[in-house]
Amino acid sequence: MIPRRVLLGGGLAALASHAVAQERVEIAMRGSARGERVWFSPQGLAVGPGTTLRFVNRDPGNSHTSTAYHPDLLGRQRRIPRAATPWDSGFLLPDKSFEVTLTVPGVYDYYCQPHEMAGMVGRIVVGAPGDPGWEGPAPDNEDLMVEVLATFPSVEAILAAGRVEPEDAP
Amino acid sequence: MRIFAALLLSPLAAGPALAQDAMTAPPAAPFAQVSTLVPLPEFIPGLGTLYVDPATLPAGPFLGYDHDGKLSATIYMVPIEDLTAGTAFDGLAVGSQTVTGVDIYYNAGHPGVEKPHAHVVLYHDAEAKARLAQ
Repeated sequence: MIPRRVLLGGGLAALASHAVAQERVEIAMRGSARGERVWFSPQGLAVGPGTTLRFVNRDPGNSHTSTAYHPDLLGRQRRIPRAATPWDSGFLLPDKSFEVTLTVPGVYDYYCQPHEMAGMVGRIVVGAPGDPGWEGPAPDNEDLMVEVLATFPSVEAILAAGRVEPEDAP
Repeated sequence: MRIFAALLLSPLAAGPALAQDAMTAPPAAPFAQVSTLVPLPEFIPGLGTLYVDPATLPAGPFLGYDHDGKLSATIYMVPIEDLTAGTAFDGLAVGSQTVTGVDIYYNAGHPGVEKPHAHVVLYHDAEAKARLAQ
């Protein structure tokens, strides 16, 4: 049974979710053979409102989480749209997965709890600037290390390419 | 020269060996299977089925067993930050004093040892690395 959480931004968003495509896109959690490197693939992803993201641990030697930056989760500063509900997959062992559906337009930043220091973070762009309710990227703050902040692909790059992989991914 | 040759031909002079009952899984308490302590796979490719005395975290020793329960490696996990700060990890025990090879490599972290760290892997026989690979 895949744990699943649907993120809704309130009543209007719930109504809107019925009107958009119910696409499902995989984001893999990956690691090198000896664990020297860990990353989300893609690291940056553009999707339409209502898309379901399926996080799958494709790393046979490690466990990972997908955790939204939000005060309700470990007291982190919010880096998802205000109207969205945060998610936390919990630890996923190899081949395990977790699904979340994003309906509120905007920029969502998330991380892997045991690997944030190693730069295992990701960014999802739902919709595009100008969409009703759109909320852009959170400003940089001291909650994140400078090295981690530098890891997020820019919204412009994600929207231009659709999906962005880490520059040094094997 | 004679001393150097003797070192090559004899087991490496390592720390104190654990009791003989560590040679097959499961080792005696206080060792516990790592996958029961933290969310990690039961068998980790490259390291095997790991056991550790929780009181010795993060460095270990971790005892790595192959699929048949044979002790194949002793592993230490040493946070880079701790080394940089001047912390020493001395007198660590080994699963077996027969050591046929050593690998040292970087690891970005995992549940149990979240900080980026070095894995120091002591293999206890010539085929151990292959048996732990998958």
